[in-house]
Amino acid sequence: MTSAPEFTAEIFQNEYLASGAREVSAVVSVTSAGAVTTAGADTASSAEIIIVDCSGSMAAPMAKLIQAREATAAAIDVIRDGTAFAVVAGALRAWPIYPANGSMAIANATSRADAKRAVKRLGAHDGTAIGQWLQAARQLFLTRQDDLRHAILLTDGQNAHESAAQLDDAIQTCTGVFTCDCRGVGTDWEVAELRKISTALLGTVDIVPDPAGLTADFEALMTASMAKQVADVRLRVWTPQHTTVRYVKQVAPAVEDLTGMRKHVTELAGDYPTGAWGPAESRDYHVCVDVQPAAVGQEMLAARVSLVQDSDAGSQTLAQGLIKAIWSDDERMSTRINRHVAHYTGQAELAQAIQDGLEARTAGDDTTAADRLGRAVEIARESGNEASAKLLAKVVDVDPVTGTVRLKPKVAAADEMALDTRSTKTVRVKK
Amino acid sequence: MATPSSPTCAACGAVAEFADKFCEACGAAFADHRHVDLGGLAGVTDTGHRHDRNEDAMALTVAQTPTGVASIAVVCDGVSTSERPDEASHTAAGAAAESMAAALRAGVAGEEALRQAVLAADAAVRGLAGDSDNAPATTIVAGVVSADQISVCWIGDSRAYWLPAIDAPSALLLTRDDSLAEELVSVGVLTEAEAYASQHAHVVTRWLGADADSPEPHIVSVRPSTPGFLLLCSDGLWNYQPDPEGLHRLALPAALTDLGAAADALLTFALDSGGQDNTTVVLAAAPPVPRDTPDPGGNT
Repeated sequence: MTSAPEFTAEIFQNEYLASGAREVSAVVSVTSAGAVTTAGADTASSAEIIIVDCSGSMAAPMAKLIQAREATAAAIDVIRDGTAFAVVAGALRAWPIYPANGSMAIANATSRADAKRAVKRLGAHDGTAIGQWLQAARQLFLTRQDDLRHAILLTDGQNAHESAAQLDDAIQTCTGVFTCDCRGVGTDWEVAELRKISTALLGTVDIVPDPAGLTADFEALMTASMAKQVADVRLRVWTPQHTTVRYVKQVAPAVEDLTGMRKHVTELAGDYPTGAWGPAESRDYHVCVDVQPAAVGQEMLAARVSLVQDSDAGSQTLAQGLIKAIWSDDERMSTRINRHVAHYTGQAELAQAIQDGLEARTAGDDTTAADRLGRAVEIARESGNEASAKLLAKVVDVDPVTGTVRLKPKVAAADEMALDTRSTKTVRVKK
Repeated sequence: MATPSSPTCAACGAVAEFADKFCEACGAAFADHRHVDLGGLAGVTDTGHRHDRNEDAMALTVAQTPTGVASIAVVCDGVSTSERPDEASHTAAGAAAESMAAALRAGVAGEEALRQAVLAADAAVRGLAGDSDNAPATTIVAGVVSADQISVCWIGDSRAYWLPAIDAPSALLLTRDDSLAEELVSVGVLTEAEAYASQHAHVVTRWLGADADSPEPHIVSVRPSTPGFLLLCSDGLWNYQPDPEGLHRLALPAALTDLGAAADALLTFALDSGGQDNTTVVLAAAPPVPRDTPDPGGNT
């Protein structure tokens, strides 16, 4: 048994502003400590649902379905004893594969073996209506009251058999109920669609171009989920009167804009969801607010950022950091750029440049595409984001002498999708 | 130190908590320097250069009395050797101003309103003591300026001066310190110069608080024949310039056009002279400036 990890929040900012300036930017670095083993401590209960695409296309080629069965079985093997779990098949609608009666099983050697047997019978028919799958998972999760609820969603195609509005509705009803990691196998699915789900449900999105890669990926996802100990952690941002929050973004390990997910707490405070946390995790957030400028020499609290979690005893503050503003006439103070803020501003621009570039490329606007992707290459190189640099190199050619960026005439769909899905992945500030 | 005990924010005026030393309403840093300007009544208080916190407090407000408007000003200087002197001074200043405003509105005459106010302040400071054997203590000087009279009462060594609008030589010290220095001078043991040079000069002999003898204050009233200003200050100012004429030169002519600037000028003088102690300066125009909106509330 393990107890909840301890959290720390560290603020990185230049608190000095020029006279009259109002924008205050800071990076909040949140870290959970390594797990503390304490026998008998109360631990969070968890529930897992694996949602497997069983639409007709999964059988073309058959390798997708076969690998999906194996990957699901591998993930089931990772589920810890005592965890509630279920496997759901999805096509035009969703139906339970295990347990067959539409409940959730409790993991042990017997139930895991039963589940793996059931998964072998997964077939492939009909079309794709992902909203239905999400709704089914939600209903299953809500038969219980587990603290941590997590799903893995696998698809190989576009959400062709329901409207975008239907999917949006489903995403909305599932928001806050469970977190969801989305995987697309092959290249016939749509990145934007799965990203919409993973963003709202605080999970990740990625491409598994070759079905043979599914097993390792599912195992890794389930292992990471099993490590989570603290559910529903929120970033509470308090700002003084006459202050507006420009944005709150997660910036590491990947860029996720949380601004629109704010939930009202008080007139001056709102909560942004961060999902579940395991031990020894570190995530960075970029908070940007506009304050009412005060006179030179004055100091103010621009925002108080707390990590909060609801417990039986009410709302609990796990860690806290203060974002300040001090107005100064000294330009050397006010023009100093904080390394963390600058770095993550660059990483966010990198992600945006990649997405803009790919969008322009799809639209046939090669000039814009080359310009934006060229900028991305530049930032990736400067900031040491080698993963993005490598992915970019599969889509553009960079002249080693002039640095001029040209779109590759032929790009594999998988490479383009990999660049798209992973464009938001950031690197940490260099030490 | 616990959370600063001031109930109001200098920047936004909100009655607010100061968690993390910032106002929970507007975010302003809790300032050990505060400036209040109610027009015709202005004050400033500052930690000075040598102290970590400001144990002085001031309260400024305006009351509509049955016979016209009256300016109310209070300056308190927490006794450093007592426990929680900052809490004592803030509590006393707030309680005195509140009591005075209520009494004056109800038609109580200036001197009696002052007496009641000091009793109220004393009771409030006594209430802070608990079972402490070094009860919180503070000096107090309070003034009320009405159309035809200025009344001042005090306990301790915070002072009141009359600064006429033009005629510098007729500037007056209105109070007499309850201090060891003053007592030694009055019985002829030391000259004034010797007394204030001694390290005991600032030992106050009377104060407000649970271990004080009697809260009966000294009271004095004047009916000035010319317009002018009532100056209340803590020893952080008068240490550097006790002379009424000298203070007059520092405050005027600025006070004629901008009372807040004049209060700031007096503070700047104290800080430039060394700023050894917390310094509080309040200036009230006499007669008071008429106003449409009663009780703007500048209680800090």
